[in-house]
Amino acid sequence: MSIDYIISILKPMLEGAQMTVLLFIIAIVVSIPLGFLLTLAVSSIIKPLSWLAQAYIYIMRGTPLLLQLLFICFGLPMIPGIGEYLVLDRFVAASLGFILNYAAYFAEIFRGGLLAIDKGQYEASQVLGLNKWQMTTRIIMPQMFRIALPAVANESVTLVKDTALLYAVAVPELLHFAETAVNRDFTIVPFVVAGIIYLVMTLVLTIVFKWIEKRFRFE
Amino acid sequence: MAMIEVSNLKKSFGKLDVLKQLTFTVNKNDVVAVIGPSGSGKSTMLRSLVHLEQIDAGSISVVGEYLVKDGVYPRLPEIKQITSKMGMVFQHFNLFPHLTVQENLEIAPKLVKKASASELRQRSTELLGKIGLTNRAKAYPANLSGGQKQRVAIARALMMDPEILLFDEPTSALDPELTGEVLQVMKDLAEEQMTMIVVTHEMGFAKEVANRVIFMDDGEIVESGHPSEIFTNPQFDRTKVFLNRSF
Repeated sequence: MSIDYIISILKPMLEGAQMTVLLFIIAIVVSIPLGFLLTLAVSSIIKPLSWLAQAYIYIMRGTPLLLQLLFICFGLPMIPGIGEYLVLDRFVAASLGFILNYAAYFAEIFRGGLLAIDKGQYEASQVLGLNKWQMTTRIIMPQMFRIALPAVANESVTLVKDTALLYAVAVPELLHFAETAVNRDFTIVPFVVAGIIYLVMTLVLTIVFKWIEKRFRFE
Repeated sequence: MAMIEVSNLKKSFGKLDVLKQLTFTVNKNDVVAVIGPSGSGKSTMLRSLVHLEQIDAGSISVVGEYLVKDGVYPRLPEIKQITSKMGMVFQHFNLFPHLTVQENLEIAPKLVKKASASELRQRSTELLGKIGLTNRAKAYPANLSGGQKQRVAIARALMMDPEILLFDEPTSALDPELTGEVLQVMKDLAEEQMTMIVVTHEMGFAKEVANRVIFMDDGEIVESGHPSEIFTNPQFDRTKVFLNRSF
């Protein structure tokens, strides 16, 4: 076991990690706003919209992410008639799967945040003359995001680890390179290295979220 | 001059009649203390005045304009315009926890009245001085005592220049030693001729500061009059029983 060996496997694994980070960023940047829109849809007074959003969340949370990824990557192209137009680049397909799945989880997290806001906040806003839009954007949303922050942080850490599912749809990411090295060199060192890389990524993420939480503690 | 006129106000939650045929008038510069046992409908009455509750029948007029006439409400913009003449202070303060004290004061006039930043800063600083919290301008509500929070809530309501100020049990959530500072601010407002309706359990305040007391029980106004009359010579048994328990 030499340092040279670790350095030699580190290069492809870090390239794989780039894929992981890229997927993470795409998924988080798109699914958080999408999740918020879903929350609004669920709490909408337009009943069909609310039902639709609830059904969506139920399906996305009620089936494995892996199944959803396989469905988008391999299932969609098999649909008769339109399948041929649904052949997506693997990475694009996987990103789509992660976004759609995580949006449902974020929607539930934000809904929890909304429920935690005291009704006195709405009443005070109303009596002070704020309109619906002002109340939502200036009073309710900032508090909702603050309350949801720890749960969002937790979900983000899960997302980092879930990126390993890219392996199943054959997008070369961190775990893929680790496994290749393990099979080729007959040593578990690459798995250990992969684990450490994941730990570093989640550590950075944890620190970032802790900082955000502190920044918005309102004390 | 009548600031608030309520006639035949009725309100029920399902089968429960919370308010039965309330009729009363509040004149300019009045300080009205509304007293009565829990569940007598005091808070619901107060909340109806600012449209936090919708009434079922009767009329409410505010400074000559109908908020609701014979159970019929106008359109929302009109309702907003009419309720904007009133400020409200809640039992649980309802300060915005993500905003500093000064931001709590400034947000509503900034958004609703589109007042200029310098004008707002001047007014909020002045009000913070008045409630004795100049040095807490940049603090968040979480770091204030209950009494300080309620004083900020009063200042926040004053920022909108209301003609009438409503208080819903403003000291009920406070530790006893903190009620004094809040009552003092209210007393100062009364001395400045602010028209106020105060739902309260503070009999001392009702006695000293109010110029009229309304005693409510079971959704009705049992009697009303000058504190000296109500407290020394109540006409009805229900009032007597309540006052005996309260002193």
